Amino acid sequence: MSASALTLEAPFAALGATTFRRMPKRPMDEAKFEAFYRKTAGRIWSYIYRMTGDAATADDLMQKTFFRFLRSNPAIADDDHLRHYVFKTATNLVFDHFRETKRARERVVEPLRMSDLGADRGELRHDMMRVFAELKPQERALLWLAHVEGSSHDEIAEAIGVKAKSVRVMLFRARKRLGDLLTRRGLAPEGTR
Amino acid sequence: MSDCPLEPDVIHAAVRGEWTESLRAHVATCADCAAAAEIAPWMQQFARMDDREHKLPDPASLWVRAKLLQSTAAADRASLPITRVQIASYLVVAGCWAALLMWKWSALAAWINSLAPAHVILSAAGAETAASFSATFFLMLIVLASVTAVLAFQTILAEE
Repeated sequence: MSASALTLEAPFAALGATTFRRMPKRPMDEAKFEAFYRKTAGRIWSYIYRMTGDAATADDLMQKTFFRFLRSNPAIADDDHLRHYVFKTATNLVFDHFRETKRARERVVEPLRMSDLGADRGELRHDMMRVFAELKPQERALLWLAHVEGSSHDEIAEAIGVKAKSVRVMLFRARKRLGDLLTRRGLAPEGTR
Repeated sequence: MSDCPLEPDVIHAAVRGEWTESLRAHVATCADCAAAAEIAPWMQQFARMDDREHKLPDPASLWVRAKLLQSTAAADRASLPITRVQIASYLVVAGCWAALLMWKWSALAAWINSLAPAHVILSAAGAETAASFSATFFLMLIVLASVTAVLAFQTILAEE
């Protein structure tokens, strides 16, 4: 298959000039996409899966994320910025998914079938997914981006569409909420201090 | 990661259980770091839950599908002006037909009446004259009929 380029307009202006450095337009070719995908796709899938609790939805939204990414003709050279852009796209798609399906189901996680996993691992994952699912989607996104992706407050603000100044307070509340949930379920780690 | 410069160190210490006295003292006074430290080990464990059984789609197939989607979108965009012209021409032709019919409505009505059996007998007896149409009318009729046929043909071809 030829490594031809995808050449539609990039909507990166929306991301803010301060956060994303604009580079001369250079369409992404297939080889570069493949390298970027292999580095990022697993993390994106995990993020969406933790957010939605459903593997099939995570598959679907991850593919949509990369379709959007390619359609945007990413003209940013820095892989980190591309990664943040992909996480922002994934977050938007997950929030859209929750809005579209509007529900009560928002907080109900459908964990992987136990037969897919070893019994112990399956149970542990099931418990953890349940705890995480009790958080609001925005709290899940905040915690995942801050703790797992190591994103800065500015990056988190871009991804979830809030002001950077609000992130500190929102993150604090999300942490407290998760802490309370863990304590209530007797899952709080001991000796962290 | 946060406004507090020590937060990454606190999280690192919480995850690894490697606390220093200064970090402990800091956590006792910094609410953000205390909250981060409380959940950091759990988040770390949660993030490390193995998802690798899950097979991700092949990037080559994603690339091809993205290109196909782009081609479809481009084709849709390209065909938009054609569709607009097509709609405009339908409207113009319909308007022309309406104008033609209104212009010669009385003559057409008389001609239709003349087709009734009673009128045919009367006109055969020479009692009534048939409605007459000008050459211009016939010319316009032919032109409009041709344009309508071409439009219909073009629409069918485009659909196919």
